[in-house]
Amino acid sequence: MAVYKRGYTRYQGALTGHWARFFVLPRFAWRRLLEQRLVVILLVAATFWPLLCAGFIYVSNHADLLLGFDQKMSAFLRIDSRFFVIFMNAQSVFAILLSAFAGPSLIAPDLANGALSLYFSRPISRVEYVLARLLVLLGMLSLVTWVPGVLLFFMQSAMAGWSWFASNWQLGVGVFFGFLLWILLVSLVAMASSAYVRWRIVAGALVLGVFFVLAGAAELTNAVLRVEWASAFNPGRAMNQIWCAMLGADPIPGPNATFCFIVVSIMAALLLFVLNRKLRPVEVVS
Amino acid sequence: MTAEFRLRQAWTIARLQLRRVFFSKRSSWVYLLALFPSVPFFGHAIEVKLSQSRYASRVTAAAILESIREGDTDEEVLKTAGEPVHERKFRRGPRGEASVEYRNLIYFDGERRWFLHFEAGILQNKRSRPLIDFEDDRKVFAGVFQYFYLRLAVFFGCLGIFMNLFRGEILDKTLHFWFLAPARREVLLAGKYLAGLIAATLIFATGAALSFGLMLWPQDAVELSAFWRAQGPEHLFWYATAAAAGCVGYGSLFLAAGLLVRNPVVPAIVILFWEGINGILPAALQKFSVLYYVQSLAPIPPPMDANAPALIQLLMSPADPPSTVAAVCGLLAVTALVLWIASRSVQRIEINYGTD
Repeated sequence: MAVYKRGYTRYQGALTGHWARFFVLPRFAWRRLLEQRLVVILLVAATFWPLLCAGFIYVSNHADLLLGFDQKMSAFLRIDSRFFVIFMNAQSVFAILLSAFAGPSLIAPDLANGALSLYFSRPISRVEYVLARLLVLLGMLSLVTWVPGVLLFFMQSAMAGWSWFASNWQLGVGVFFGFLLWILLVSLVAMASSAYVRWRIVAGALVLGVFFVLAGAAELTNAVLRVEWASAFNPGRAMNQIWCAMLGADPIPGPNATFCFIVVSIMAALLLFVLNRKLRPVEVVS
Repeated sequence: MTAEFRLRQAWTIARLQLRRVFFSKRSSWVYLLALFPSVPFFGHAIEVKLSQSRYASRVTAAAILESIREGDTDEEVLKTAGEPVHERKFRRGPRGEASVEYRNLIYFDGERRWFLHFEAGILQNKRSRPLIDFEDDRKVFAGVFQYFYLRLAVFFGCLGIFMNLFRGEILDKTLHFWFLAPARREVLLAGKYLAGLIAATLIFATGAALSFGLMLWPQDAVELSAFWRAQGPEHLFWYATAAAAGCVGYGSLFLAAGLLVRNPVVPAIVILFWEGINGILPAALQKFSVLYYVQSLAPIPPPMDANAPALIQLLMSPADPPSTVAAVCGLLAVTALVLWIASRSVQRIEINYGTD
């Protein structure tokens, strides 16, 4: 006869839904991120430019204020695709900075502390883990990118009237999808860096390094080889060309939007490859 | 304990650390940063060499090419100038409308490439460019060195190497082994800084010299030997020295930052921003940056970016560069001050491996 006996029965209670389980990781991560002072400071700092742009829209829509201005000034105050491209370029820098602070803490600690096996022993797959982490950054970066962008678009639509909205609706769509593409790229860089170096603080520096050094390397290649195609490897410049095409603005001289999109897609595929290689629940230590 | 004994201790620490800095897997990207500029220069050299050998058999006299005027037909040009070294034809036009035939011809006169652009058989545009221009290449190298090498490669390379010296040990949970050794903490700091400095200087000075060599490789032999007799060795020396000076300055900053701050991203952003706006700051403030001293050591000043926004070009007011002696002394003074702050910090440091 056993001196100790314990039986088990399967849990028979109600199960949480698949999506509820999926949102567990982002929920906790968002709470933890918002406890970081630097993240909050950056979120606040990122609102200054949209507020300035809102002021600009207000001024440009008050014809009575513009009566004394000449044509050049009126053209400068026009809200068009160029205005939104400039806005997007400025906010994209905040997205990089925010991802450098927020991104590395998502995966690196799990890898460094061997926590992946704990995640994957629960009903969550590798893809769902990556998507959940991606969602954390998507939510965080949305606050400084497409949310203020779309708000500005609606503000302009409300002030300029239905006719402006009807003839410029593609600007709002372009801002939304353009920023979504940028968020995806920035998030993938942050997550891949985090998974690659495993050190949270080093990953942050790596995120910055990737964007700044790639930009420098692309311009260097252009200058030495007397070409323009290398600009497509500068993520900021490539995205600017894509945004110009989406919003119908005049692109800056350089590779066209299609080529830039192909290069950005290749970059994203490489980053996904790194994530796939690094995110394994078990590893053999040699 | 004599000063000589402490120096020997510092050198022993540096020797141990050097192996880790040079051969660790984490240093591979530093090599990549240092050697990357060589790749486009190598590509440029190969392109020039290949073009020279490919065009050699089809040289057209410069006088004939100069006689071609805009408005000439492509048939006339082909008749006078003969077979081009390169030809491309394509049709393009607005959707739904008749397309226009475009034709691009390239001729070579032994030194210059002539680009002729035809629309519907009529010459619209004619321009020429030397196959290789030594003066232009040297300016490009100066730009690459100042804008990529000093501002990005040396900056991020030093960030990786010097932050790793203490912060890396904390992350690896191995700093206490160093602190248990019978050596003063300032000696440990000096040894680690020396190791980082030797590694960074060797890697980046070699990288700069390699890129410089590859820039010179395809140049005309006569021009090259004249340059090498006049200023060549001096330019090479100052480029390597400027790279080393960058390592001295940024190295001390990042070593101190690694001791004072937990997250290197914050000082990296602050220093990157400060160095980035250096050119538009008032002259007095420009002196509080590593770049001010380092870039004045480079033999050719940085070319102004023609594509920079008008406002930036307007605000750009580079302060008068210091003399070489002043630059070296200024940099050494800044470095000594930062290292003194770091030595004060390392004396007080308490190990808390925490949750990094």
